Order: sequence, then C-alpha cells, then structure tokens
Amino acid sequence: MSGLSNKDFETLALPLLDPLYNFARWMCSDADEARDLVQETFVKALKAFSSFREGTNFRAWMFRILRNTFLSSRTGLEHRNTEQESEQGFEDSVVTSETPELALIRRADTELVQQGIAQLALGFREVLILADLEEMKYQEISAALDIPIGTVMSRLARARGQLREHILQALQSRKLVAKS
Amino acid sequence: MNCEWQQKIALYLDDELAPAAQQEFAAHLSRCPECPVAVAEQMELKKSVRIAAKKFSAPPDLHAAIYRQLHPEPKAKLLWWKWAMPLACLVLMFALGLAFWPRSAAKDPMVASLVDQHVIALSSPNPVDVVSESRHTVKPWFQGKLAYTFTPPETAGTQYTLIGGKLVYVDQTAGAQLLYQTGQHKISVFIFPAQTDIKNLHAKPGTTFTVDNWNQRGLEYFLITDASKEEAGHLITMFQDANR
Repeated sequence: MSGLSNKDFETLALPLLDPLYNFARWMCSDADEARDLVQETFVKALKAFSSFREGTNFRAWMFRILRNTFLSSRTGLEHRNTEQESEQGFEDSVVTSETPELALIRRADTELVQQGIAQLALGFREVLILADLEEMKYQEISAALDIPIGTVMSRLARARGQLREHILQALQSRKLVAKS
Repeated sequence: MNCEWQQKIALYLDDELAPAAQQEFAAHLSRCPECPVAVAEQMELKKSVRIAAKKFSAPPDLHAAIYRQLHPEPKAKLLWWKWAMPLACLVLMFALGLAFWPRSAAKDPMVASLVDQHVIALSSPNPVDVVSESRHTVKPWFQGKLAYTFTPPETAGTQYTLIGGKLVYVDQTAGAQLLYQTGQHKISVFIFPAQTDIKNLHAKPGTTFTVDNWNQRGLEYFLITDASKEEAGHLITMFQDANR
C-alpha cells in the first residue's frame, strides 16, 4: 500500500480533469465518447490508486490509464486495426526552412492549426499534444503511451512535419485563390 | 540545409538536451546562418500547437459526475429509508414543480451555463488558467485565443482584486472568464461576442447568485457572484469605463 488516501487522489487528479478531457476529445469521435472515457479513467484510477507508487509521475500515470482505456474501446480498436504507421528515422522529417515559410506559419490561424492536428494519425496526434500542449518530457510521454523514447521522437518529428506541410499548403492555396 | 546541428533543433526546443549541450547549441545559433531560421519556424509551430490544441474544456456535468464518483452518497442503513426516501423525493419534486416551474422554464440556458462555470471556479483548486492580479498579464494571455479583445479595469486601490482568467466555452463559443475577489466573495465576469437575446437574467430560483448583463462595443458581459448587487455594482461601472 502506498499510504495515499482518496483525498490525495482528489487533490492530484481533479486538476487533470480539463487536460484529460481535452486529450480525450482529440482522440474520440464525439463529446459523449470523450466524456465516458474520462469518467471511466477516473473510476479505474481511483480503484488502482493504492497501487500507485508515491513519487512517480502521477500525470503520466493518469494519461496512461486514459489511453489504455481508449485503446480497448471500439474507436480505439478501430484505430489500432487501421493505422499502420511507418516509423522512419526522425532525421528524415527534420524541418528545413526558409524565411517565407516562417512568415506563412506565423500567419496560420488557430482553426487551421486545429484542422491540421485533427488530420494527423492518432499516434502522431497524441504525441504532439502531450509534448507541445501538456509540455511533457519525452520520458513522460514514453511512460504515458507505453512506447520507447525513440518512437516518441520519431512520431513527434513526423507529426510536426506533417502539420507544417498542412499549414503551408493551405495558406499557399489560399494565396492562389486570392490571386485568381 | 546542411548544418549537422539541424537534427538537434527539436531536442533543443523541447528542452531535452543536457545542460551543457543546450548551452553549446545556443552558442552555435549565434554563428550559424541556417539554424536560427529553422529554430524560429519550429518554435512558431510549437506555439501554434500549444494554443490550438487547447480546444476543449470538461463540461460542467462531467465535473459534477466526477465529483459524485469521488464523494459517493452513504448507503442507507435502515430498511424504511428505502421506502421513505423515494416517497419524500416524489412529494418534494411535486411541491417544487408547483412552486417554481413557470419561472425555471423561462431561465436562459446561457446564464445557467455561466452560473455553472462560476460554481466550478468556486470549487476548483485551480479556478483560472492564468493567475495574476495584473490586468497587463491577464489581458495579453487571451491574445490568439479569442477573436476579440477587451480591457479589464485597473483594480489597484479598489475593493476588488483580480485573481486571473480562463478560457470558457458555452454552446461551442469561446469566451473569457475573469475572476475577482471582494471581501469573502468571488465575482466572475464573462465576456462573449454579443449575439444572444437574454430572456431571463435570474439565476436558478432559490439560489443566491447575483447576475447582471450588459452590452458594450459588440461584446456581451455577464457578471455572476454571490456578493450583493451593491458590492458587485461598482465593478460593472469600472468595466464600462475601461472599455469605452
């Protein structure tokens, strides 16, 4: 037993409700599914809290429970069966840049970036959100998603590369439409 | 681009390099003609993701459901409660229905959602996303998150203290929630694009919340608090003056 109480769980877990729900919404097809997923995560986490080791990363632990619960859901199983990600070295995906592209990215509006994130494969989307929104370290992401750090790095690089391409293509086609 | 340091840009921006390597990379940036542009671009992309990915907030009913999970009702110990409680509930619901139905049916759903958001802020250990007493910190925090801007009033030397701000969503519309303290009371000021035709400004009958609403320069402001109308009233004037 870790000696932690339900009150400790509440203190640690409630501040994570919004981040967990936001993460769930990005993974699930609709709000109801995300809502159920978060509720189930809290039920499972509360039950398993006695096995949580004090001093380890609670946030990564909660995200891991949510993600495992999602993967065992219908939508999660569909994703697992349909997504075949190639894990190329992340060196291939390192962004090369020029000043006009930087200017374009600065012009990207929130909606366009959200569209780009939504179009990413689930495995890329979840790594990107944990790294750039939740500001998790690679080690934390690795623990939360149960994948090696090398995979975290390669997925993150590819997610950023694909998102960047999405933004640039969308803005360039907007420019073409404006000119014509 | 040929610089071999390019491969470390993501590690540098994600703060994943060892301190010595982090310093070495920073020094490299000052002499490399290629890397600073690539760093700026990836930094911009990271910033865009941080803003755009924070799209959803847990709905009030989920907060309530989780709270119920964590604080389950104690089970009834006596058998007669099994019969008495449902009966008492039925009688109570019937009485409340008779007393309040006409007024509660007219209650505006927007106001009801905002009262919920205010209650969540009262009970949350982290009621705001940006914590600051300074309007010069809180106002810029909303830049890029909302398609409009507003000016929180200067509260120095007044009875009000700014606690901070938070992004809220009601009916899929993003808005700002500013939280203030006056005495022992908290006041939420919500700011949304003006669009609604508020039918009834009263909070749920039987609750003690003060609700006020005004339109100014295309924005709709809602003030919700358990303080009295007199205690909150001056804050409304301050907002109106700051946004003229």
